[in-house]
Amino acid sequence: MSPVLDIQGLSVAYNRKGLALEDVHMHVPKGGIVALLGANGAGKTTLIRAVTGLLDLHQGHITAGQVRLSGQIVSGLPAHRLVRLGMGQVPEGRLVFKHLSVEENLRVGAAVLPRAQVQDGLDAVYHLFPRLLERRQQAAGWMSGGEQQMLALGRAMIAKPKLLLVDELSLGLAPLIVRDIYKQLLVIGETLGTAMLVVEQNANLALSFAQSAYLLKQGRVVLSGSAAEVAANPLMKTSYLGEAKVAGKSTP
Amino acid sequence: MNTTNSQPPATNFSAWGWLIFWAGALAYLPTLLTERALFGMALSNTQLLNLGLTQINLMLISMLGALSLNYLTGCAGLISIGHAAFFATGAMAAAIFDNQLGWPFPLVLLACGLSGALVGTLAGLPSLRVRGLYFVLSTLAVHYVVAYVFLEYQFKFFDVVGIPYAAPRIGDFELNTPVRWYAFLLPLVVLVYLGLKASLQSREGLAMRAMRDHELAATSVGVDVRILRLKAFGLSSAIASVGGALFAYYLSNVTSEAFNISFAIQFIAMIIIGGMGSLPGSLVGAAIWLLLPSIIGGLSPQSNEDGGFIGKMLVENRAQLVQLIFSLLVIVFLIFAPDGVAGLARNLKNRIAAWRQRP
Repeated sequence: MSPVLDIQGLSVAYNRKGLALEDVHMHVPKGGIVALLGANGAGKTTLIRAVTGLLDLHQGHITAGQVRLSGQIVSGLPAHRLVRLGMGQVPEGRLVFKHLSVEENLRVGAAVLPRAQVQDGLDAVYHLFPRLLERRQQAAGWMSGGEQQMLALGRAMIAKPKLLLVDELSLGLAPLIVRDIYKQLLVIGETLGTAMLVVEQNANLALSFAQSAYLLKQGRVVLSGSAAEVAANPLMKTSYLGEAKVAGKSTP
Repeated sequence: MNTTNSQPPATNFSAWGWLIFWAGALAYLPTLLTERALFGMALSNTQLLNLGLTQINLMLISMLGALSLNYLTGCAGLISIGHAAFFATGAMAAAIFDNQLGWPFPLVLLACGLSGALVGTLAGLPSLRVRGLYFVLSTLAVHYVVAYVFLEYQFKFFDVVGIPYAAPRIGDFELNTPVRWYAFLLPLVVLVYLGLKASLQSREGLAMRAMRDHELAATSVGVDVRILRLKAFGLSSAIASVGGALFAYYLSNVTSEAFNISFAIQFIAMIIIGGMGSLPGSLVGAAIWLLLPSIIGGLSPQSNEDGGFIGKMLVENRAQLVQLIFSLLVIVFLIFAPDGVAGLARNLKNRIAAWRQRP
């Protein structure tokens, strides 16, 4: 059985910057939750862009390798086509449509569904996030950060994606709210069987939540395995804190 | 417990009541303005704000321009300063299909709309590659290309005095009086307004507004922004083009100078005053822009040389005074009410709602 997401030997370059990803192999099994870790500039966002087809908006392009979604080669397809093939995305920085009401935001996300299923989709999102039901008619741009993040998540899941890419969900949010949203993310995974690739700065949080993880460093995968293995590996510390610091003074 | 719950007396009509009131008022307007009397009670020129039906008709035509530009700029987020070009396209298409080919008027209007959609889609093509300011400049380029073609066309087939247009007729109904024009234009504007409103509520309209708010996010939820841009451009210019054809017919003679760059800018001013992204706002903006000059003009007989600075301006430099007031109006709106009249109305409504709910 083919994994939901299968990345083979992917290399990506930007016009002005040179190689950003080099020979990346990665896969996300059906219904699995995978964390993508790495320090700033490791290439996490580039990987997400390559998978979602948004690279050309940022003057980047795939130089080698390919991306498969449920066995079908999708690298090179435009982003809006990928959504119809089952690729959902919660972009970094939430990016809700701020002049549209909460419900209109969700309806934009539901536009890939047949019309008859839209109401069911809305009900499912409201069931998961009752806060959104309370704010149905409110303009999305004037809600709190947590509510906007819930909306961005609801907007992505309403299309019933096979794979959900979640980019920096915790950015600028209070830890308690982040924990809440992650809990709902697990519920989504369990009820809909959605596979997830989660990019997260907070490595501990991500590892407690995911089943397996990949660690990126300077555009390469340097570590991969189950969440527990990755958490225990000393490479984790060095890639976040820098080698000199850990190697030089071991006593605090 | 019932003491604080005193609703103000029911001043709000039902929706139907308002509809009937406005329909009645709009139906009575031509009688009012041609007989210069309200139900037999004669009114002076000043009491009628110096307005005639011609200003109203030109306002209705401009409303087509303002509505279509607001659809493009306010709702789809594409700023265009090429709107005069689409008006010119309509005027030129009317000359080709009516003066030269002799098609009947309804067909001519349809052809004008289609030509506008075609030119508009072509003009929208750069939006697939360039963004923001660069795109605005590409619409300016479209303006000059169309202006050049119009000039060449005018000189090749007509002459310096311009292209003449005969009064159009739909069957036996010849549009040769202001009242008849009004009877034709008003339903057309209502139709366009309702059509655009329905389009904004549809799935595509929603996707378009999402694209305006955040292009990348719209792409990431499956909106094909490129097709959507071209569609918005096509529809907007089709409407503007029909407006341009009607404008030419109404004036009965048009030269290339009629569609200059300030003609394009006036539509931008209308939607700034009316409110970006608001269809009713476009109507209000067009009304203010087209009616204010004659209202100001109507004040000048009331004034004389002794009327101080403003009075003197009114008598001697009326055109400049109008320009001055318009410029100030745009600046004041940009600074203090960036959402235009529509935004002000929304604020007022919220205030009243809050006031009614006060403890």
